[in-house]
Amino acid sequence: MAEGIPTGAAGRAAQAIAKAAAYALMSLFALMTVYPILWLVMNSFKTTREFQVNQLGWPAAPTLANYAEAWSYGEFGKLFPNSLLYTFGATAGIVLLSALAGFAFAKLGSRATRPIYGSFVIGILLTVNTLMIPLFIEVNLLGIYNTRLAVLVVYVGQGLPMGVYLMTEYIRGIPTALVESARIDGAGFGRIFRSVILPMVLPVATTIAILNISGIWNEFALINILVSKTELKSLPLGIYKFSGSLSSDYGKQFAALTIGMAPMLLFYLAFHKQITQGVSAGAVKG
Amino acid sequence: MSSARQIHGEEGRAYWAMVLPAFLVYLLVIGFPIVLSVVLSVSDYSGGKMFGGESWGFAGFGQYARIASDPFFWNALKNNLYIVLVSVFGQLPLGFVFAYLVYRKLVARPGFWQGILYLPNIISIIVVGLLWQTIFSPRGPIGAVMNAAYRREFQDALAALFASRGGFAPTEEIARGILELAGPAGRALFSDPVAELRELLLSYPAGGMPEVLDGLANLFARKWSPEFLTRPDVAMLPVLFVILWMYTGMYLILFLANMQKIDPQVIESARIDGARDGQVMRYIVLPALSGTIVNSAILAISGSLSSFALIYSMTGGGPSRVTEILSIYMYNNAFLGRPNFPLANAISLVIVAISLGLIAATKAVEKRLGGKEE
Repeated sequence: MAEGIPTGAAGRAAQAIAKAAAYALMSLFALMTVYPILWLVMNSFKTTREFQVNQLGWPAAPTLANYAEAWSYGEFGKLFPNSLLYTFGATAGIVLLSALAGFAFAKLGSRATRPIYGSFVIGILLTVNTLMIPLFIEVNLLGIYNTRLAVLVVYVGQGLPMGVYLMTEYIRGIPTALVESARIDGAGFGRIFRSVILPMVLPVATTIAILNISGIWNEFALINILVSKTELKSLPLGIYKFSGSLSSDYGKQFAALTIGMAPMLLFYLAFHKQITQGVSAGAVKG
Repeated sequence: MSSARQIHGEEGRAYWAMVLPAFLVYLLVIGFPIVLSVVLSVSDYSGGKMFGGESWGFAGFGQYARIASDPFFWNALKNNLYIVLVSVFGQLPLGFVFAYLVYRKLVARPGFWQGILYLPNIISIIVVGLLWQTIFSPRGPIGAVMNAAYRREFQDALAALFASRGGFAPTEEIARGILELAGPAGRALFSDPVAELRELLLSYPAGGMPEVLDGLANLFARKWSPEFLTRPDVAMLPVLFVILWMYTGMYLILFLANMQKIDPQVIESARIDGARDGQVMRYIVLPALSGTIVNSAILAISGSLSSFALIYSMTGGGPSRVTEILSIYMYNNAFLGRPNFPLANAISLVIVAISLGLIAATKAVEKRLGGKEE
């Protein structure tokens, strides 16, 4: 039976080949990620004129002019605060509403839990993107087209199914005795939520927040149909302005793409551990 | 008794106070739009005010028939299915292999590889789309690298030619040699090639080798203009490549996290019993991950069918609509030209139905396979 264990020189050679193949494959993928990004950033410091004769080398005379022009043409100064508001506002909304509903589903008895919680779980499979047309009509019907409220409500809504699911399953793991003893001490449910449940759901709240922050910051399809005024737009809509007719002004386009990429890259650098953990936690569903 | 009922009443009020905010938002964003699209898809609503405007009503199932007979719908559906296939049979297996390599410690610094391979998921899809559009375009690095190579090749050949004739001189013989290298396309630049080229060669300063090489390379070296995104017969390939590139890292993370949950002692003892790497994979790792694989496939399917921004920014559905996917087909029917809201709503429901159908099929396959295992 020992024939299964590769031993001696042949085994070592086989292992070395497997290792080399593993490195080659991963390096290829890594290169396909790193090189395009480096190429983009490098060329964002060239004038369009230099770019036309030098597409591969370092910039001979690095310039920041592209950034200044891209910033003002894209009106990023207006879009940045909007992106911040949408991202953190909606994320806070998702976490809070999910925690409330999750607490009720997990610890308060009601016959309504089965159908309502079930509908949230089904909602995980229904991506809001496919509903953008009826959503556009609904928003017009309610008279909230071109409002920040519409963007926030839609973003909260699209994050709720996963958020409610994760919260409910998490809170189910918290001992019911904790809730019961607080009840016996005379605490109301609101009080129990605030002082018993909220502090305990921090880990899953972090996961939900991480899952939503990058998703909402980068979201394009929905906000594209919800607002048309520049004052209400988010960063991705501003970056999209640099496609089409403006794409021949390469330097400016590259600078705009770099501006669009930078915040999330920094976020990723700072929190990549939490992000990876959040992603693996978020995708475990029944 | 009365106190129990009172508690129940309080609990009931608390329950609804906590569930309703989430549920109402959910209904507003997902529930109501579905109902709305069912209603509108069989109506003759033509935009404008829904109440008190132009009157509208039931118009039958004509929009669905219209979709079924529209070749652009089938083209978009085909592209969506390609994306599903690349996701399920490309991203998932590759992600699995990468996760296994990291898990079995075949590569050093796992965090580093994981970090880089997940990176595309963090960048805004619009940036990804526009970036790859540029990379595959004539102004991108692929074309630049190829053309630099052609140029160097041509200049080396020129230098060899000059060396074999005892150095550069504007002779007829050298002009013929250059035209030979330039090929028919180069000769076509002149009406009387040899004489005109000699005249050109005479205009260079004596001993100005670099200028000659540069000038002739500008004139004659092969130039290639990448057509990845402009040729209808291949345009879908770069799109599928980017989709594969973008999400493989996510499955790496998912699979790795679940591999790390396997008790290392199980693998250890299997190895002591003489199990090989392949057997460990086949009999321990794969079964332990079967649930994760199915869930990932479901995630991939629902993501594939709802994707919009990547293709919208990378190709816009072009050239001549060949890279359209269902969501863009729907979007264009609602927002481009004369909007057709009933049609767009019908498409929306068709996408939801296809997505749920594929997910149900995945679940069914899981049941069949799961039954076999046992």
